[in-house]
Amino acid sequence: MPNEMTNRRSALLAGAGLMGAGLLRPGPRGQAWAQAAAVGEGDIYGPDDPQARRGGVLTIAIANEPPNLDPFHQAGDARTAITVLMYQGLMFEHASGTAKPLLAESMTVSADGLTYTFVLRRGVRFHNGGQMTSADVKYSYDYVRNPANGSPGAADFGTISEVEAPDDHTVVIRLSEPNASLPMTLTNRFGCVVPRDTFSSPQARNRLSQQSVGTGPFMLQEFRPQSHIRMARFPNYWRQGQPYLDGVLFSVQPNAASVLVALRGRRVDLALLARPQDAEQLQGQAGLSIVSAPSLRQCSLDLDSSHAQLKDQRVRQAIALAIDKKAVMDAAIGGKGQVLGTVPAAMQESWGAPLESLPFQKQDPARAKALLAEAGLASGFSLDLIGIIGFEWMDPAAVTIAQQLAAVGIRLNIQRAELGVWLNAFRTRNMRFTFNDWGTQPDPHSLFYRHFRSPPRGADFRNWNNAEADRLMDLGMASADPARRKEAYLGLQRVMDETVPTILLFSPDLVTVSQQRVRNYVQHPTGWWFGLAKAWIAA
Amino acid sequence: MIEAISRRIGGTLVTAILATGVVFLLIRAVPGDAIGEMLGQSAGDPAAEAALRAFFGLDQPIWSQYLSWAGNVLRGDLGTSMRQGLPVWGIILDAFLVTLQLGLVTLLVAIVVGVPLGLLAGARPGSLVDLLVEGFTLLSLSSPVFWTGMVLLILADAWLGWSPPLVYTPPGISLAENLESTLLPVLALGFLQAGAYAQFTRQQSVALLRQDFVRAARARGLPARVIFGRHVLRNIAVPLVTYAGLILVQILGGVVVVETLFAIPGLGRTLLAAIQGRDYPVLQGALLLTVIVALLVNLVIDLAYALIDPRMRGA
Repeated sequence: MPNEMTNRRSALLAGAGLMGAGLLRPGPRGQAWAQAAAVGEGDIYGPDDPQARRGGVLTIAIANEPPNLDPFHQAGDARTAITVLMYQGLMFEHASGTAKPLLAESMTVSADGLTYTFVLRRGVRFHNGGQMTSADVKYSYDYVRNPANGSPGAADFGTISEVEAPDDHTVVIRLSEPNASLPMTLTNRFGCVVPRDTFSSPQARNRLSQQSVGTGPFMLQEFRPQSHIRMARFPNYWRQGQPYLDGVLFSVQPNAASVLVALRGRRVDLALLARPQDAEQLQGQAGLSIVSAPSLRQCSLDLDSSHAQLKDQRVRQAIALAIDKKAVMDAAIGGKGQVLGTVPAAMQESWGAPLESLPFQKQDPARAKALLAEAGLASGFSLDLIGIIGFEWMDPAAVTIAQQLAAVGIRLNIQRAELGVWLNAFRTRNMRFTFNDWGTQPDPHSLFYRHFRSPPRGADFRNWNNAEADRLMDLGMASADPARRKEAYLGLQRVMDETVPTILLFSPDLVTVSQQRVRNYVQHPTGWWFGLAKAWIAA
Repeated sequence: MIEAISRRIGGTLVTAILATGVVFLLIRAVPGDAIGEMLGQSAGDPAAEAALRAFFGLDQPIWSQYLSWAGNVLRGDLGTSMRQGLPVWGIILDAFLVTLQLGLVTLLVAIVVGVPLGLLAGARPGSLVDLLVEGFTLLSLSSPVFWTGMVLLILADAWLGWSPPLVYTPPGISLAENLESTLLPVLALGFLQAGAYAQFTRQQSVALLRQDFVRAARARGLPARVIFGRHVLRNIAVPLVTYAGLILVQILGGVVVVETLFAIPGLGRTLLAAIQGRDYPVLQGALLLTVIVALLVNLVIDLAYALIDPRMRGA
């Protein structure tokens, strides 16, 4: 859901640092490949800083409060953004779009792509004092993948048939079918490792709001709903000498204006702007540094292929052709973002189909009208467009889109739904014609599969039901070879462009504002707070 | 007297229980439940959804959910928050104390500012003072709280270079920091309520000045000061206390806006978050508390009448 935002320059720097680290070498079983981490661990979360000074508590303003801090039972981005500091997976979702070893030291894949072997990092301790072993990894992944335990992440782990712990430091994961995105699944959204038997009592998950049990650089100190979350440095963190900070304090500031005032008044060290256009109000303010970067968040229009006139593919195409995305973005967020094609901005370089190669991305009202006439709707028709209350950008965007669609004869009635009501409609595949605002991990399988693959393997929320797209998504999932994988997803994007289950409008820029005393903070494109593990405060 | 009070308390409880039943049904009539927020857009696995729903007892029929909730309430257990996993009693009590403090301080500001203004204006209707007070009242009553709050926030930042602390501090930990964090919300709410109080006080005293007994006192040649102090003030006391109760309930119910604006972790925001996340136990607990408090405030006010006005002691 509402994702926030990255620092392009620093992300690229961090990526460059890691490129040498992801070593590709032939594994013990034929054509296998592995990633060595020993060289690269200094670059996880951002670069190490030899000049870093220890100490201090960094204060961060957040707009959306997580309901709780349970790494397994809460899908919301607000939760993940914060729990990544306390809980870690075997892998790390690197900004470059690949998964790098985190709690694993190395990963080896068998030639058939069905067996993944992980050698675990040594000397990793949990916040409760215990040593992490393969039994904990097995427990955690067996827990999350069992649907009876109610994790929203369970479906991501669906291809795992067996998790084995042959010795204390080795984990073998067997799959029922090849899944090239498995490493990404084992990252920090749902792939966290907790001590075995954490959930042995039915009420155990309630304690996670008071006490953290992960391996991350910070441990939970206090969670006061509607107010703040306080974390302290974990003294036994596996990476010696880190984190540099003594602690972090997240303060919930539901109001964009209060965040600006707090930044100016130096009450807060670091914030991601909920409205990127607010950066203008801080420009020129002494002592503040403002960095903006493309994000993995997408503001989009979703089209339910089973709803009214949208059943006709030509009508969906006409809507796509009627829209000028740049004008919508200018109205919605003052132009502070990137216009999208078929993937979010931070994935365009690595996975996106070039915009000019896609025939339905450029505004063409004449063709839109012709398509409507072909569909027997030459005299136009009315359609409800649903926005979500509390998502500020949707109101001005709705007005602009209504004007653009009116030009081809589609009369929009703009409606607003409360988030809970909207989510319910979404989940029950009854979304009709609506705005959406969501984020992803930097991986095409994570981006597309659940949302667009038809059931039972995916959820196909938009009732798209496209066999060719299903085939391409399955192919992308099964292909270990990066080139073949990319080819599959390029094909998928062409199908999406042509059949229009969704129209990605724009990615708002990820605008990070910090006081000058904050050093070495690198913003991850997900908008999650990984960078705090390496940040420090200058005297 | 005691019989009257116990009858009132009994009535209060019955009303509270009826209110929770209505709330229980109403909130479940709204589409979506606590599972929605947990799954977000990651939904799609029916087995995981069913497991979550069963974990929270949401798979039970509504009447059975209500009975088990009501049974626990009678045993003093308000349940556990579906979102936070914390005991509801602790969540709402913490939040309520914050809101209560905010409400009482605001009420104090409203009385200290509003009553003298209203009396000044009411003593000489049509005078310059009266006009000025009327101007103040008009401005305060027509400024929405979110606007006043925003203006105060921006002015404090622009003129004084001051902004409220990021995290609310309870008075028990540091009174100074607590005052710092509640200063602007109290001013924003107090500005509105002071205007309301001034207007009410003025109306009451103007009406009293027209009463026969005041005219009689005047005819007896009593000085204006004595008439005002001995006759008007005494008679005005009862409606002013009633009004205090009304205002307090209004403040307690209407703090959602200031609490959101100034990030104060009070009952209003807790309630709002519980509604958005469909956290039924917190919602029900908080509403139960609100209903009981509103009814108790009315009870206390009725008792206060008896202290102020001897005529009411028998009632």
